Amino acid sequence: MRNKDKLPRVRNIDARKVVKEAYVYVILILVVVVLTLIKGEVGQRGNFLFWPNIAQILRASVPVIMVSAAFTFIFITGNIDLSVGSTVSLSVVFYSILVLNGFGFLPALLLTMVLGAVLGGINGLLVMQLRITPVIATLITMSAYQGVARYLVPKGISAIKSGDVLKMPEWMSDFSRQGIVDAEVSKVFKEISWAIIIAIIVIVILVIVQKRTVLGKYMSAVGGNRTAAELSGINAKKVVWGVYILIGVVTSLAGVIRSSNMSIGDPYTGIGLETEAIIACLLGGTVFTGGEGSVVKSVVGAIIIVFLTLGLKQIIDPYYQTLVKGIVLVLAVALNHVLTRERKMAQ
Amino acid sequence: MGKKNNEVMNLKRGKMSNESFINLSMLAVLILLFALASIFINNYFGVPTALNLVANNWYYIILGIGVTFLLVSGHFDLSVGGTLAMAGMLSAYFVQDSAEGFSPLASGLGMGYGWAIILALICCMLIGVINALFIAKLKVASIIVTLGTMSVARGIAEVVGLGAQRSANLPEIYGKVGNLSLVGPIKIAAVIAVVLVLAALFVEKKTVFGRRTYLIGANQEAARLSGIKVERHIALLYILSSLLAGITGILLASETKAAISTRGAGYEFNALVVTLLGGTSIDGGFGSVAGTVVGALILGVVSSASFSLLLRPEWQFIMKAIVTFLAILAQRYALDRRSR
Repeated sequence: MRNKDKLPRVRNIDARKVVKEAYVYVILILVVVVLTLIKGEVGQRGNFLFWPNIAQILRASVPVIMVSAAFTFIFITGNIDLSVGSTVSLSVVFYSILVLNGFGFLPALLLTMVLGAVLGGINGLLVMQLRITPVIATLITMSAYQGVARYLVPKGISAIKSGDVLKMPEWMSDFSRQGIVDAEVSKVFKEISWAIIIAIIVIVILVIVQKRTVLGKYMSAVGGNRTAAELSGINAKKVVWGVYILIGVVTSLAGVIRSSNMSIGDPYTGIGLETEAIIACLLGGTVFTGGEGSVVKSVVGAIIIVFLTLGLKQIIDPYYQTLVKGIVLVLAVALNHVLTRERKMAQ
Repeated sequence: MGKKNNEVMNLKRGKMSNESFINLSMLAVLILLFALASIFINNYFGVPTALNLVANNWYYIILGIGVTFLLVSGHFDLSVGGTLAMAGMLSAYFVQDSAEGFSPLASGLGMGYGWAIILALICCMLIGVINALFIAKLKVASIIVTLGTMSVARGIAEVVGLGAQRSANLPEIYGKVGNLSLVGPIKIAAVIAVVLVLAALFVEKKTVFGRRTYLIGANQEAARLSGIKVERHIALLYILSSLLAGITGILLASETKAAISTRGAGYEFNALVVTLLGGTSIDGGFGSVAGTVVGALILGVVSSASFSLLLRPEWQFIMKAIVTFLAILAQRYALDRRSR
């Protein structure tokens, strides 16, 4: 690959490469510009480009961004995980129950992440050991996890929340809502919550895993051509299984952040998250048949989709959200197709 | 390949084909489940329950026809749930009076009922055209495209319904079609489902179109080389599936005499589950609408029994997952054993 790229080539191929590398950032800038110009005075309260506003959108969408980042991996291996939404729902409920029953923050967090690893492991088991097609396997677990999440919420109430006997502790929402510094220290950093810091750390770890570890190399190899990868001694089963467990852990962490953001355990909260993650990855240029993808670009893709849905919500009626999401997904598919085709032609 | 040879051998030895084998085993599973439910639940066994099973699952059967044909050809269609909601919503919008002075949710375009239905179905077929364009022409993975059109269709339903429902100011006939009852709980919709199933079985077994679908699913390249217009065929299947979803949506909206934008959420997954329970292979090339009907009835028994036994609707999700999981494993095991 490297050598090929260094060879002198026709110029328009370079132009295509530039387009492929940069388009997701261009779309992000376009979205921000359009949303900014639609309503209010630039940079003032009521406008989109108002730091507290953007920070609030980011705080609310940390889960989507984290899940999208991890989702890139599963696409790279050529598989899919439709159960992420249900995994978030189940983690949210599980974490809320632990917290409501007096667990501290760290024990509850760790137990929820263990749960996430188990849920991801079950996906890996179905896909790799029992050889069920990924779509169907994760459809099964999607239904199962959703069912368990709903079952864990006692009859007659809609979500895990403070009741007559047990009360949610006050620190419940701090993780996602309180800034890392006080307002007196810095007005800019006051809006940044610990959850955002955690998300950045997770994304950095994922980038390092992809670029600097054997797992990253093996993932691309398995997704690019599984038979070839296995013949060259890579244990494809272990790799895919590892990726499913990884996505389970990241997703459960996203669930903790989501429940901390809402201060309740809502079993419906994860519905549709898998669509958003898929949109984000496709916008980021991930090749869904496997082999190629970039965590950072998926994160940018996720930011585009949350800006569009949550930003538009402030301007037009909320019932436009699904349509916007659907149109963006179809456009992302088209764009992704054009760019992948160009890649093939260029090679 | 080995499996195919084996199947020929089996047929020569007078054994039944793999398809009949799977169909019969799923039928046995259905009977077993129904028997179990009858043992554990008071008053479960009986004609009313059996009639209710058909009466309450006809929409999965109609949706399942399109999904089965597509799955046999090796493709997914997850857009049916959204298309269903869109059909009901658009038909309501088209038929509502256009007079001034009503609230936005009560006024529409004021067309005749017939025209409204035809136009709504055409809009549904456009969703199928988008699917076909991306999947057949541009060769994008069907699961991703139809996930997108699912949101587009549901989004249109939500926008037209202003995020709520259109139930005011609808003509009498809008609520009639879905509620005409024939025998007990059996409504005209169930009869339509039966007619569609018979037509689908005929197409599947006796027409060139049906046999080509199997060939495309078994080996798309071979189908292309033997002169089948694969792209056009898949496009037709997608349009057909959207049309069936549209019909289902109009009947469902008529049943409640209200077009609800969240109607049919999750039906796309249930239609897929029903198809898989009926023995249709996820890899394409194998399956039958007859199996899908059995699958729909299995799902019906599982949900009604789990509701009566465990008294919490949440169990349906878990039971559905377990039954699908077991069915897929059992089918693979059975086929593996036979072809040994």
